[in-house]
Amino acid sequence: MTKKLLQGNEAICLGAIKAGMKFFAGYPITPASEIMHFLSRQKDIGFVHAEDEIAAINMVIGASLGGAKSMTATSGPGFSLKQEGIGLAHMMEVPVVVVDCQRVGPSTGMPTLGSQGDILQSAHGSHGDIFPIVFYPNSVEECYKYTIEAFNAAEDSQSPVILLTDTSTSHIYETADTEEIDKAAKIRQRTLEPFGKGTRHFTGLAHEKDAPKTRDSENYKRWIKRTKEKQTRAANNYSFYEYMGQKDSDTLLVAYGITSRVISPLRDRFAIFRPIRLFPILDELKIIAKDFKNIVVIEQNEGQYLHEVEVLLKRKIQGISVQGGEVKLSGIEEQLKVLGLE
Amino acid sequence: MTEKYFKQELFPTIWCAGCGIGLAVKETAKAFKELGLDNNQISIVSGIGCSGRAAGYFNMDTIHGCHGRAIPVAEGLKRANPKLNVIVFSGDGDIVGIGGNHLIHSPRRDTDITVICINNQTYGLTGGQLAPTSAEGAVTMTSPFGSKYHPVNIQGLILANKRFFYARTTVFHIDHMRKCIKEAMQFKGFSFVEIITNCVETYGKRQGYNNAYEMLMDYKKNFKMASGKDRLEDNEIGIVRKE
Ligand SMILES: Cc1ncc(C[n+]2csc(CCOP(=O)(O)OP(=O)(O)O)c2C)c(N)n1
Repeated sequence: MTKKLLQGNEAICLGAIKAGMKFFAGYPITPASEIMHFLSRQKDIGFVHAEDEIAAINMVIGASLGGAKSMTATSGPGFSLKQEGIGLAHMMEVPVVVVDCQRVGPSTGMPTLGSQGDILQSAHGSHGDIFPIVFYPNSVEECYKYTIEAFNAAEDSQSPVILLTDTSTSHIYETADTEEIDKAAKIRQRTLEPFGKGTRHFTGLAHEKDAPKTRDSENYKRWIKRTKEKQTRAANNYSFYEYMGQKDSDTLLVAYGITSRVISPLRDRFAIFRPIRLFPILDELKIIAKDFKNIVVIEQNEGQYLHEVEVLLKRKIQGISVQGGEVKLSGIEEQLKVLGLE
Repeated sequence: MTEKYFKQELFPTIWCAGCGIGLAVKETAKAFKELGLDNNQISIVSGIGCSGRAAGYFNMDTIHGCHGRAIPVAEGLKRANPKLNVIVFSGDGDIVGIGGNHLIHSPRRDTDITVICINNQTYGLTGGQLAPTSAEGAVTMTSPFGSKYHPVNIQGLILANKRFFYARTTVFHIDHMRKCIKEAMQFKGFSFVEIITNCVETYGKRQGYNNAYEMLMDYKKNFKMASGKDRLEDNEIGIVRKE
């Protein structure tokens, strides 16, 4: 056992290197910049400080097709700019990892404070229907572990995988035992042949095999069905979550990322479900939720995941929105009282 | 003789009768042949537009990405796979319009790719709107009273770099076009070939041309071959380079 003191963003870099990442492109933005800083110093990794986030996502798509496991990292404003590229990678079935370290608000918001406002964007941010796999670690050790898994899931699904964090999870320094994680870690090898070997045509147009099919409705319907099945099948190998606390309580709290850590003292009184794979939403939650009268989703946004959970459970549930970049246990306890759940 | 470079089963192409893009595609393939390149030594990356559909007809690993983003995709591909000859083949709207930022920065990094830019002075695929390359006075779908703007200076953008390769040619001058493409591909670093191309349907007819022939005859009449120059005049075709 060797514990190292690491920052969340550093752990993401180390996880990516462990997973075999060979190319990174990014554009500076708080609170993601440390990822660029760290990777710019690695000699055996292709690195580009791109002209903008659009260039960065498109470079990692090209590099992935060229044969390199690839990643880009950003925060909200850059994540918005990357959405078209994420849709392209999804349509062309190119494995890439996109890290979004969430900060507060639409537009420039509050750059140095953390938030969880990009939950729906991570799954539905690109136009058209896409079905990305999304992970959200809540500690430095998990940043390492789930970056490796994000690369694995990208290979498994041949699609872009999103790794969410928040300012706190990205910036926190903690000790992490990466060697212990390495012992259990499986690294998925590439299946996509690098360019220069075939006659494949990767296109963002609807297509069948190597030819665009721009007016064939039946082909598109087949594509949607196949893609959805492929994503679900791959995601099922990565059904990560944590279920803890007072399982005989009548209330289940649902929280993820830094919020799940802030509420962890409540496990003496409540049951807590923490999804680590946020999307596709975990079916396991459906089974667990059956045993509870009250379900409360606690998150730093206006109820984004609450909505997804409601759709999954097909019942009315409650939510606590923590806004403004400050997440305090006392404030959440007060809100629980207002809901009559103390 | 260039058959092996094409997926002929996909012909006929989507391009209109009289369109010049096919001429540029064919000369590109001939350049491959003359350089002795195998299919698996080359990749074509396109953006979106009529010109952007070119990638799909080449019989090799190819990419048809987002509008304006062919250059960064090609840059990532080249960095991951340095042995490949990576060629961007796309339109002026794609490369100089929406993708203009990448045209400043990828040459600054001297990325070793060749950009073949089909300059038909309009957004062809979307029906002929004003492009940054459209002539002053050009009547288009979004400049019904004639463009008020001077066209973008592509040569100037490329020549702003420390090292550069810039060629201008037209689809009338096919041997010259092939020479430009070949030399661009042999240049170590970022190389750019601007091919003046006739889009008779969505641009030419609105400027008073009746058919592709008239447009090609104008290229013949108006463009003078230049060599050994530091900078091409607007009515010149040729190559300017700095190692
Ligand atoms: C982000 C985005 N904006 C707009 C479009 C619509 N669009 C498709 S092609 C095109 C213009 C193409 O012009 P150009 O690159 O000059 O190619 P051409 O068709 O003339 O060969 C536009 C605006 C798009 N596909 N994506």
